[in-house]
Amino acid sequence: MTTRLTVAVASLALLLAGTAPVMAHHSFAAEYDANKPIKLSGTVTKIEWTNPHCYFYIDVKNAETGKIDNWALELGNPNALLRNGWTPNSVKIGEEVTVEGTRAKDGTFLGNARSMVLASTGQRLFAGSSQTTNP
Amino acid sequence: MVTNSVEQFRMGAWARGAVVFSVLVLTSSAHALGQWVTYPTPNVPRLANGQPDLKAPAPRQPDGKPDFIGFWQPDRVRDCTPDLASRVRLTQPCKSGEKVTVPNGPASVPGGLPLQPWAAELAKQRTADLSKDDPHNRCQPDNYPRVYWLPHFTKMFHVPGELLMLNEWNAQFRQIYTDGRPFPEFMHPIYSGYSIGKWEGDTFVITTKGFRESEWLDTAGNPITDAATMTERITRPTFGTLNLAITIDDPKAYTKPFTIDMNMKIMLDTQMIEEFCLENEKDSVRLFAPGAGK
Repeated sequence: MTTRLTVAVASLALLLAGTAPVMAHHSFAAEYDANKPIKLSGTVTKIEWTNPHCYFYIDVKNAETGKIDNWALELGNPNALLRNGWTPNSVKIGEEVTVEGTRAKDGTFLGNARSMVLASTGQRLFAGSSQTTNP
Repeated sequence: MVTNSVEQFRMGAWARGAVVFSVLVLTSSAHALGQWVTYPTPNVPRLANGQPDLKAPAPRQPDGKPDFIGFWQPDRVRDCTPDLASRVRLTQPCKSGEKVTVPNGPASVPGGLPLQPWAAELAKQRTADLSKDDPHNRCQPDNYPRVYWLPHFTKMFHVPGELLMLNEWNAQFRQIYTDGRPFPEFMHPIYSGYSIGKWEGDTFVITTKGFRESEWLDTAGNPITDAATMTERITRPTFGTLNLAITIDDPKAYTKPFTIDMNMKIMLDTQMIEEFCLENEKDSVRLFAPGAGK
């Protein structure tokens, strides 16, 4: 246990010292509404592992209409995700996930993801998106 | 000085990001050690506990000059020193020995940017539009010196006759010639400008001219014009840090020269990977839709 904790702390220090890049190529406030936080649980239907942003699409049951809405969720770019521990196999189509983020201003089913939790393992993945950009 | 809500949001978001990131690291075993993008950096000085010694002396080139070779990203976290407030605008007082997070790029200039009236009006309008017209949104090439304070990686090399800077964003390059050549007689305007460098002791001094007619200096929309001369004074005080004092003399857009003092931090255990923005760009269409940015 002590060894595992030491390894975890050492890994954290190493990563914080070396690799915590996140990317944003656009103005967050122009596209997303910081006053519209979202938390969505659903099934991954499509993944675009692309620049300048990765997109994950998930089917979410709308509690009001009873319909299934397909949400597009914008994350960081592939380099940012890889540097923060993702691989293209971290999340698979058909997998259940919960995403926290911010909804688009235009009211469409578009969001900027901040983090994603995998239902199968409870693992939380940092989205590397513009909401967590430094600077 | 114009600091838009984008920058303000990003400043506040960093702390939240750090917390989420910590949770990731402590809960994830998926760090991609097998990927080039996370490949270990060689020749890193180490502390007794095996961690990188970021305060170790900077490496030197065979001729004794400091070596800037490395992979760099802007670092807003500074050591609070007695002279820091004279070089960087602090948003809160700091005590000597503390770490302090400073504003990004031009927003860090003490007293604000000395904008000409037209430039102030332009920046004000861009800020009111939430920077939706930012060329960076449309995957345009980044211009210097703005490249330095965007969150994309810069890799530097010393090669015979020049210092070479590569940036992941759109695979951009910049050449700073050290072979004694003068500026060209005609400088066709380019995003990086034309750069000549020389050593003054352990400080590398770069002079750059020949910028494009009007570009964005930062996300807030402050301008930089073809009248600008940029002088950079770069040092590597430690293994882990570059310091850049970037003086911009642009009489068309500013009433007097000003200096942006910034640090870059070395990024270890990662490698440069292309990042072509136009691959799957979706934001600009939304940003230019009717009513966008309001």
